[in-house]
Amino acid sequence: MMLLFDIALVAGLLTLAVHVVREPDERSAIIAFLAFGLLLGLAWIRLAAPDVALTEIAIGGGGTGILLLRAEAAVRGRGKHEESVTRPGKLAIAVGCAAISAGLGLAVLSFASPAPTLAPAAAEGLSATGLGNPVTAVLLAYRALDTLLEKVVVLLALIGVWSLAPDAAWGGVPAVRSGEIPQPLAYLARILPPFGVVIGVYMFWVGADAPGGTFQAGTVLAAMWLLVMLAGLRSPPETAGLPLRLALAGGPILFLAIAFLGFAFADGFLAYPKALAKPLILAIEAALTLSVAAALAMLVAGPARRAPTR
Amino acid sequence: MADILAAAAFLILAITLLALLRVLRSRVLAERMMALQLLGTGGTAVLLLLGAASGSPAVIDVALLLTLFAAFACVAFALGMAEPAAETDPAKEQP
Repeated sequence: MMLLFDIALVAGLLTLAVHVVREPDERSAIIAFLAFGLLLGLAWIRLAAPDVALTEIAIGGGGTGILLLRAEAAVRGRGKHEESVTRPGKLAIAVGCAAISAGLGLAVLSFASPAPTLAPAAAEGLSATGLGNPVTAVLLAYRALDTLLEKVVVLLALIGVWSLAPDAAWGGVPAVRSGEIPQPLAYLARILPPFGVVIGVYMFWVGADAPGGTFQAGTVLAAMWLLVMLAGLRSPPETAGLPLRLALAGGPILFLAIAFLGFAFADGFLAYPKALAKPLILAIEAALTLSVAAALAMLVAGPARRAPTR
Repeated sequence: MADILAAAAFLILAITLLALLRVLRSRVLAERMMALQLLGTGGTAVLLLLGAASGSPAVIDVALLLTLFAAFACVAFALGMAEPAAETDPAKEQP
């Protein structure tokens, strides 16, 4: 029965992917891409990776879609320039993409079976961290360095986006809200965020012992904040504002501070004292959740458009 | 019992997928947007059935997130309807 289920799921995903590529209207293609992201979450569940499923649904169904739609709205109306890619050009792109897909497929099929795994070793060390979710243990204990760099990369991406602001508007307010706010959107922006914030905090808290964690929680909070800003209920903060900058940098700074304290109180850089491992990890996660939420929301909000009011 | 739940999940998935592909081909933008809402309810049902069939509570959290983001995706529709995101008029901005 599950085989039948998987075949239906894969067939649905492939059909949807082809639909996204073939759709001539950009907005419809983005909407179909959003649906694709949500459906992909189901596939990750079938692959027994609920952590990835949560991230895929949050990023693929929430963040990316809004980012693409805002990008589409920004370039729409800037002159309907004629098709820049010719038919042979399109064909070449299609062949190239197909070759990459086929190569990836071959690579996956040629993996050793059973695949070499560190899972038993990861599960063995779990008790030392006080955590129950091996994915969180990998992210914040075993491979904390990768996570630290990853969060800094998000900040670098944000700096890249901000640097697109005109000189006069530097440090000012991004333009999030579009001209006319439909009534249902304003209603949704009042109803959904209370639920969303509770779900976001739950995602962060449950991450220590079950699938969930910093990134998923941050994405949920960012989506709720964006919803409020898009509906014009709150205007976005000034990008030079101290509270925003503190929220953005707070997570990585706390992470780095605790990492360096590891020299004094534990075995070295990024090592936690055994008794304090879990409280420290939770503190880092809390600060990182806020940082990720602020960074993702500001990434979608875009560069400053209006001069600061100083 | 698990088999029956899995069969129900398959049935709902198949129906949701067929309806999804039909709705996505619609000429009306609002109807295409409804495809996401359809996936929100259908996907949640599939996930809850799968979670019950496999006995893993984490799947229920995924269903929760799917519901939330399917609702959030409505924003996409509102954004799509709005005029190009031009410079906002400072006079109309709320304090």
